Amino acid sequence: MSRHTQENLASVFLLVVFAGVIWMCQDFGPRARMVPQPLAIFGIVLTLIQLAWHNFGSPSEYQMDMISVQAPDIPVAEVLDVPVKKASWLREAAAYGMIAVLLGLTFVTGVMPAAFLFTAGYFMVTRYCSWQLSLVYAAVMTGSLYLLFVVALQMQPYHGLLAPLFP
Amino acid sequence: MIEAIVAGLMALLTPQAILFMFIGVIYGLVIGILPGLGGVVAMALLLPFTYGFETAATLALLLGAHIATIWGDSVTSILFSVPGSAKGLALCFDGYPMTKKGQAKRALAASATGALMGGIIGAIFLALCIPLIRPVILALGPSEYLMMALWGLTVIATFSEGSLMKGLTASVLGVLVAFIGMDVVTATPRFTFGNEFLMEGISFPVAMIGLFAVSEMMKLAIKGTPIVDRSLVKEESTVWQGVRDAFSHWWLVVRSSFLGLWIGVLPGVGASVAGLAAYAQAAQTSKTPERFGKGAVEGVIAPDATMGANEGGGLMPTLAFGIPGGESMAILLVAFIGLGVVPGPEMLTKNLDLVFSMVWIIVIANIAVTVIGLGITPWLARLPSLQANLMVPIVLGVCFVGAYATRGYIEDVVVAAVFGVAGYLMDKYRYSRANFVIGMVLAVMIERNLHISLTLYGRDFLLERPIALAMLLFVVVTAALPFVRNWLRKRKQAAAGVTS
Repeated sequence: MSRHTQENLASVFLLVVFAGVIWMCQDFGPRARMVPQPLAIFGIVLTLIQLAWHNFGSPSEYQMDMISVQAPDIPVAEVLDVPVKKASWLREAAAYGMIAVLLGLTFVTGVMPAAFLFTAGYFMVTRYCSWQLSLVYAAVMTGSLYLLFVVALQMQPYHGLLAPLFP
Repeated sequence: MIEAIVAGLMALLTPQAILFMFIGVIYGLVIGILPGLGGVVAMALLLPFTYGFETAATLALLLGAHIATIWGDSVTSILFSVPGSAKGLALCFDGYPMTKKGQAKRALAASATGALMGGIIGAIFLALCIPLIRPVILALGPSEYLMMALWGLTVIATFSEGSLMKGLTASVLGVLVAFIGMDVVTATPRFTFGNEFLMEGISFPVAMIGLFAVSEMMKLAIKGTPIVDRSLVKEESTVWQGVRDAFSHWWLVVRSSFLGLWIGVLPGVGASVAGLAAYAQAAQTSKTPERFGKGAVEGVIAPDATMGANEGGGLMPTLAFGIPGGESMAILLVAFIGLGVVPGPEMLTKNLDLVFSMVWIIVIANIAVTVIGLGITPWLARLPSLQANLMVPIVLGVCFVGAYATRGYIEDVVVAAVFGVAGYLMDKYRYSRANFVIGMVLAVMIERNLHISLTLYGRDFLLERPIALAMLLFVVVTAALPFVRNWLRKRKQAAAGVTS
């Protein structure tokens, strides 16, 4: 999918969000919707202009900064000269998956075990180090988090959905 | 006044405050030096730790960390041409060529000393402005505050990089997200979908952990490359050379500091623009501009002095009007809310000692950062490369535990994850995350002051309050200015095209 289409999809998504806000505002009293409703309408107007400029205008029309700074002629590629692998959709999907896995682990096992399992698993999957070292690093990290949050800040940890199985 | 100055200092002399300041500075330096993690991430990660401690100590932790990240950001820009965050970009232009010429120590020392001098000038400005601005603030009512919040919102969007429309849209989205939960004025649950958890609203710290820290880790995981991958040339300069450079260019430091102050006072502009603007003015006013971009030490001193002074300037609208001077100031505002401190007139009357505590924090933290920075400079040149695969799981683990710890709700972890994905997408499609956060923070101010204005002065409150009306006109002009400038520029270009 081209960047152009993606931008359009993002704008359409925003339109749906703002329209949803206006629809939900109908259930509120006049004072409760006094700010959100006009704002959502303003949001729709902004998004429509953005859509129009994106599809029918030149890029210079919507790239406006109030402060213009003359930076020296150093090519961006030279400034940020780090070898960057192309961010394919697969890597992006993996990043979303990573967040989903950590979230799932947190719900199932609880906050602290999830941090341990995720860290150890990530090190192993990415082959950052051997599995033994992965476990050690993860244990040190989780231990530090436990000391900081549970012992020092007296946080009551969430024990996860599996907790009732281990009374 | 003198009492408040002394009380502000005394509040920082408790063991807890000293310890927190020390931890904040060290932590900020480490986070700042880690590329990809800037002051905003540093402060967002600290937010869960800000509850239940002394107010001054908490501010010492947050501000100390934030000030330390400024110089920390400069380190990777100078050593590896990898800016830790957007504000460090200007340091790449001359800092990195200095490193390539074997003058890394000199560049780092000049950068640290420049930031110290700028920071102290910024703190002095903040202290001097308090008595001047106090009567102004006390004369303003809810209608004027409403207009000021609106102005803050529009000016933030118009100053933000890239598309003005996207900047404004992000601000609007931020304001709407802040309305999730029980409306305090009408006791109406808004956008809660009948969910009990959402009745309490979205926690600011959790949203920020997601928007900045989680999304940055997603970016890093996608990039998948070592963050720093550079080998350095033989080092030939000394730390003292850099210190001397900063003092010998004192006039450049003063000019750059005032530029930083001015940009800091403008809400939403932030240190990213400040650094580039400082570089530009240093190059434009130099007698030997041809040296810039090839390793001129002035190109390092100017941005750092500006960014150091920017903090004092940024605190001014944050404290006086509750309008954050930038994204880090927005996080500071969130911390204020957590601490029960209300920015605005009360800040300069009831909490004046707290304001002076912040002035002292800026001074002390800057001195501490410079002393530590100069001390570790020789070792920094040998900074080992940090793998993305090491940082991602550790920071994500801290983020999720931190999100849960904020209020003890497991649902907050979901909020952090959702905002993380949203932050990643916003960054990808160039919808400013800073605008979103500032919109969230200003939402309460906008709605509360609108309701109070309507109750006090009725529907025609703008006619009752001429200053507010004038301010509204100013808001409209400010919002229209980029369009006018763009139109003028295009007309000029068209005219030039016809002539040639």
